Amino acid sequence: MKRKHRRLAILLACGLGLGSAAALTLLAFRDNLVFFVTPSDLAGRAKPGETLRLGGLVEKGSVVREVVDGQPGVRFRVSDGRASVEVSFIGVLPDLFREGQGVVTLGTLAPDGHFIAAEVLAKHDETYMPKEVVEALKKSGHWQPADGPAPPAATWNTLNVTKNGG
Amino acid sequence: MNHLPFIIAAYAVAFVVPVVFGLEARWRLARARARLAALETRRRR
Amino acid sequence: MLRAVSASSPLAPPRGARGLHRFANPGRFLRLAGRVLPWLTAAGLALSAVGLVWGLFFAPADWQQGDAVRIMYVHVPAAWLASAGYFALAIASAVALVWRHPLADLAAVEIAPVGAAFTAICLITGSLWGKPMWGAWWVWDARLTSVLVLFFLYLGHIALTRAFDSPERGYRAGAILALVGVVNLPIIKFSVDWWNTLHQPATISLFGAPTMYIGMLWPLLFTALGATLIFAALVLARLSAAVLERRIRALLAATARDYVAEEGHLA
Repeated sequence: MKRKHRRLAILLACGLGLGSAAALTLLAFRDNLVFFVTPSDLAGRAKPGETLRLGGLVEKGSVVREVVDGQPGVRFRVSDGRASVEVSFIGVLPDLFREGQGVVTLGTLAPDGHFIAAEVLAKHDETYMPKEVVEALKKSGHWQPADGPAPPAATWNTLNVTKNGG
Repeated sequence: MNHLPFIIAAYAVAFVVPVVFGLEARWRLARARARLAALETRRRR
Repeated sequence: MLRAVSASSPLAPPRGARGLHRFANPGRFLRLAGRVLPWLTAAGLALSAVGLVWGLFFAPADWQQGDAVRIMYVHVPAAWLASAGYFALAIASAVALVWRHPLADLAAVEIAPVGAAFTAICLITGSLWGKPMWGAWWVWDARLTSVLVLFFLYLGHIALTRAFDSPERGYRAGAILALVGVVNLPIIKFSVDWWNTLHQPATISLFGAPTMYIGMLWPLLFTALGATLIFAALVLARLSAAVLERRIRALLAATARDYVAEEGHLA
């Protein structure tokens, strides 16, 4: 075997070993690598007082804005389609917060089962649409943003809308 | 435009960093060419 | 004996120029790079300029993000090049380790700082988007963390290749680090699919329609292609300079040897 072939073989063997080691490590740490848990994760193993991040979609029609001790507060339900959790938050919400939007909230579970959020982050999804396209989809009845994720991209990403500048 | 400070900052970073790298590469090339030319003429004497 | 030392010119092409080593002749590389570089630079600048002006002033705003979506036109190309640049670094390292190609070592050394710079652009512009959109400059989710690890891999490579007295040992150590770090590339790519992250999943995929309005996609393609050409031009210019600098070092060493030889002769 020529020297460079031997070097190539050594390199490939090392790559294989390293790759499988990394894959196994990631598999082992899978649960610790998630940034947030979903409401159905929480349903099984909810311990009051535990600090965690809860993520999901803001349920349609669940947002109640209130004033607590002179500060803006909000109550809403975070849902992953199977389970949902009531969340309360006092403070300023990010711009992207709305019904049907993904959010990640950091906080603790109260004894009564509702989630007291200290921080609310809005999660943007992978869709990028101009306002005109959203209006057209709403008008045609294809999508109401509060209901959840956008329809398949092929139905709107080349939609012909009159755009009036940027 | 809303969020203008964020947009300006992002575009400024994306503009300045490659420009600095480009100028540095130009300068390195010019200096290396000049030094090499000087060395080769000195060796040829 | 003395004559043999001075006769071995540092400029001579490597012996047995076959296979990959056809491209190893530094003179040929310099000529080729010199011819390609102006066109590469011009095309990269032109495409980027068109894409950025288009993205900033003519592309529509996003219905939720408003104008902050325009940060995407610099963030996404930087992110793409952060990963693609590392892939190029790994290929150069493999070629250097296995085939001992004389340009591959230098290529790896010159790719790393450019890759690190584009990764920094990616991280900073992402942060500038995250604050107004998510409500946080930074979160430790799997995507952001793995890209930060990529940045540290680049910095580690830069430090390691310069940490040894003999350049060859530095090149060797850097190449091994670069190849070990390749494991991070699929983690970056698939982090948004494998784990819950705050960062959104991919918009553009090989299969399926891009989940982006066409009027936003076009300027993004322009800036992505333009940034890629600029990246290539930066690496090519740095690599040309590095080849010239190596030639200068060899000439200086040869001159010093000649000088010592002359001294020895006189003594």
